[in-house]
Amino acid sequence: MSLKGIRTNDKHIKNLANIVEGNRSILYKKEDLLAYDCDGFTIYRHLPRAVVFPNNTEEVAKIVKYCHEHDLPFLARGAGTGLSGGAIPLNGEVIISLVKMKRLISVDFENRRAVVEPGFVNLKLTNSISDKGYYYAPDPSSQYCCTIGGNVGENAGGAHCLKYGVTTNHILGLEVVLPNGEVIEIGKDGIPDAPGYDLLGLLTGSEGTLGIVTKITVRILKNPEAKQTVLAYFDNVADGSQAVSDIISAGIVPAALEMMDQIAIEAVEAAAFPVGHPKDIEALLLIEVDGISAGIDEQIHQILEVCKRNHVREVKVAQSEEERARWWANRKTGFGAMGAISPDYLVQDGVIPRSKLPEVLNRIHEISREYGLRIANIFHAGDGNLHPLVLFDARKPGETEKALKAGSACLQACADAGGSITGEHGVGIEKREEMRFIFSDEEIAAQTDIREVFNPKNLLNAGKLFPTPGRCLEVKKEGKSVTAS
Amino acid sequence: MGLNESDLIKEPACQTNSFSNYLWSDPPDENKWADCVHCGMCLESCPTYEITGQEQHSPRGRVHLIKSVAEGKLEVNEHFMDPVFACLDCRACTTACPADVDVGGLIEEARGQIRQAMPLKGWKKAVSHLFLHSLFPHHNRLYTLGNVLKLYQKSGMQTFVRKTGLINIIPQHLAEMEAIMPEVKKPVRKKYKHEKVIKAKGETKSTVAFLTGCVMDVMFSEINEATINVLTRNGNDVMIPQNQTCCGALHVHAGDREMGRKLAKQNIEAFQHAEKVIVNSAGCGCMLKEYPELFREDPVWRQKAETFSKKVEDISKYLYDTGYKRPIAEIKARVVYHDACHLAHGQGIRDEPRSLLLDIPGVEMVEMANADRCCGSAGIYNITNPEMAKEVLDSKMKNVPKEAEMIVMGNPGCMLQMAMGVQKNGRNQKIVHTVQLLDWAYQKEDRLKEGEECL
Repeated sequence: MSLKGIRTNDKHIKNLANIVEGNRSILYKKEDLLAYDCDGFTIYRHLPRAVVFPNNTEEVAKIVKYCHEHDLPFLARGAGTGLSGGAIPLNGEVIISLVKMKRLISVDFENRRAVVEPGFVNLKLTNSISDKGYYYAPDPSSQYCCTIGGNVGENAGGAHCLKYGVTTNHILGLEVVLPNGEVIEIGKDGIPDAPGYDLLGLLTGSEGTLGIVTKITVRILKNPEAKQTVLAYFDNVADGSQAVSDIISAGIVPAALEMMDQIAIEAVEAAAFPVGHPKDIEALLLIEVDGISAGIDEQIHQILEVCKRNHVREVKVAQSEEERARWWANRKTGFGAMGAISPDYLVQDGVIPRSKLPEVLNRIHEISREYGLRIANIFHAGDGNLHPLVLFDARKPGETEKALKAGSACLQACADAGGSITGEHGVGIEKREEMRFIFSDEEIAAQTDIREVFNPKNLLNAGKLFPTPGRCLEVKKEGKSVTAS
Repeated sequence: MGLNESDLIKEPACQTNSFSNYLWSDPPDENKWADCVHCGMCLESCPTYEITGQEQHSPRGRVHLIKSVAEGKLEVNEHFMDPVFACLDCRACTTACPADVDVGGLIEEARGQIRQAMPLKGWKKAVSHLFLHSLFPHHNRLYTLGNVLKLYQKSGMQTFVRKTGLINIIPQHLAEMEAIMPEVKKPVRKKYKHEKVIKAKGETKSTVAFLTGCVMDVMFSEINEATINVLTRNGNDVMIPQNQTCCGALHVHAGDREMGRKLAKQNIEAFQHAEKVIVNSAGCGCMLKEYPELFREDPVWRQKAETFSKKVEDISKYLYDTGYKRPIAEIKARVVYHDACHLAHGQGIRDEPRSLLLDIPGVEMVEMANADRCCGSAGIYNITNPEMAKEVLDSKMKNVPKEAEMIVMGNPGCMLQMAMGVQKNGRNQKIVHTVQLLDWAYQKEDRLKEGEECL
């Protein structure tokens, strides 16, 4: 862009502005940058040095090369809806925002694949191909606004990943700008299972620490012939959890099997998309089966039977697409709905074996009592992916720290139960330290060695995904206020 | 040199600073932003985020900045003003928000602070004062302006100016506005000045009071006429309180909350004996329903405002709720319905006008993608932020199906803006208000009946 109107003494900002064509291509004033000091994880904040808005791969490569040559820390950002802080510029990074690269480049129905730019919004892909009877399967709750580039970074999941798999199962090819500015293509022709190391698998879920994705080839699926959705209310959590286990044991693979507990229900009912769930139940299940029409009714029958056997208070099948959509809107806006009952929340993302559901939920209850903070649970019960939402008020001194500790304790409970600390939200900043719950120092070092290969200068999204050696330092600093500086 | 793990800045958890930089009364309400958890569900709903892709021009970004001023991290200055005044106040984010965050309310409160911290100066002040203080609150002056416009149109000056290119001397966006100005007729407030009540045709079922609006009554008086016809035809006696005034929406949008309160008080008093206040302009209706918001710090007037607001209803919803005669005559038209922001997002009225239109025999409705996306009119936004407004309009027009013959809506600002869109894009679609179409159907019915009687 022309440098007219850019008033700064920072020569790097002027040089970066020179790389990018068009209007609105760089932000550098404090007031504008403040809007980029966090993503969907709001506890840690820091101002970026600048935000650049490239239009194409070449511009991304040039920006990255410039940062590489001048030792400027940088990171990529999509819609900034991540829940673990992966896009927070902890080191005053130059943020490379990919929102202007939002084209659907091509759709190949015959081979069931589509090519998108990283800033393309997840749900827009399904909306663009639904008239031909196709859709894109990974459906994180933020799919209305999150970008597919971000989904690749976090290996995003979603309600329907129980049956269809997470993002990595739907990525066929990537164009990547490496941290030195070099552009490479992986899985170029979109042929699955290419020989050699699975670089697609490595890049997907690398949380923006190995490269910046600039083009993505994804798998698209034919809409299922039939779909049925069930809503079941349980008086106690144990019965609901047992029903989850029994459904899977019966040999049914639901497309989605979701659970919400009482506090979660309180929030969604107080928010913008209420369904009218009873407030006095301990758990609800939202179960969806899909596939060819033959056999769907039988599966629904089995599910209803399982629910009844487990003392369900009420169970019903959606009678219309409209009703189904209402149930899903209520579920999918669940995190944001927390705003209706609490000023702040911290969402965790542990994974446990399904059989341990009642036990771990009990432990989370105890943690809630120990810390004196309410914890809501909205989660993908079918694949044991828990989302404890710790509710707190950052304005009360010390409460943020308490929430962080309570969240960490929830993850410890998951790890103790033989599970993991993240299912789909990524580690980011939030769960760096908790990586130690499941990996030894050697295992962590082996992974940072891999990062070294791609990102030797560690300028790209440094300080994310792995614990830092200087933990003591961080603890000492706790309590001091962070203001944008 | 690269970064080592130990070089990294490690910041502790954030804590808020208690030094607010909002210095005047009526500041942005802490409870409103406390509802926002920064989830980002609002992003895709926001027209200015769609265009810029920048967070400070997104709802959650604006809320974040507004909160940052209260936390003492930002000052009220022109860099803060930019994102806050670039908001269209379209309320699409309120619909999208899972936690019902009142972004619109926060924006208006923040604007109030900005206007006090940085009063307008120079020609901007003069123009703003002319429109907001000297013109809109004074129906007579508006009417006089209307007469000038009428003279301008009737005298052939308009044709002359357009043909000779004299129009080039006024800024382009104003010239475009001029080109789509509707023909000015007599405002209903003048016309019915001496009638206490316009009686229902047939049996009176109820009595309603009618807010005629400023732009509506001067530039679209035929829509007000249509509204009265439709109301009286469906058993309503209509009263037009003469001491009513401008609703104040434009003032509140511009951050002039003091004037907003003054006008609100006048209207609350003017309509105090009414049981129902009918509005046919979405922007005004939304404002009237939000009067209590203006009196957060004044319990007495707040109470009055709450009582008043409950009486306010949009014409389409009123007809839908109280019942109306389904027209018999056919209006053969392929229409598309545009949701005015302050009807759909502001008042949650979406199905009622559509249902009304579909009840007219012969009307065929075409689907429009993003029907509830702002057109860029947004009060006087198209005058204050012409560039952004143009981009928003272009985006809107791309979605308007070419096969539609009419674009129907329930707000005068949208009508002017969409008319400009139609003209600029070389379309020949007619811009119509919902009640107009209904009224035409009734009138056609009457003519048919008269015809039969003659036979």
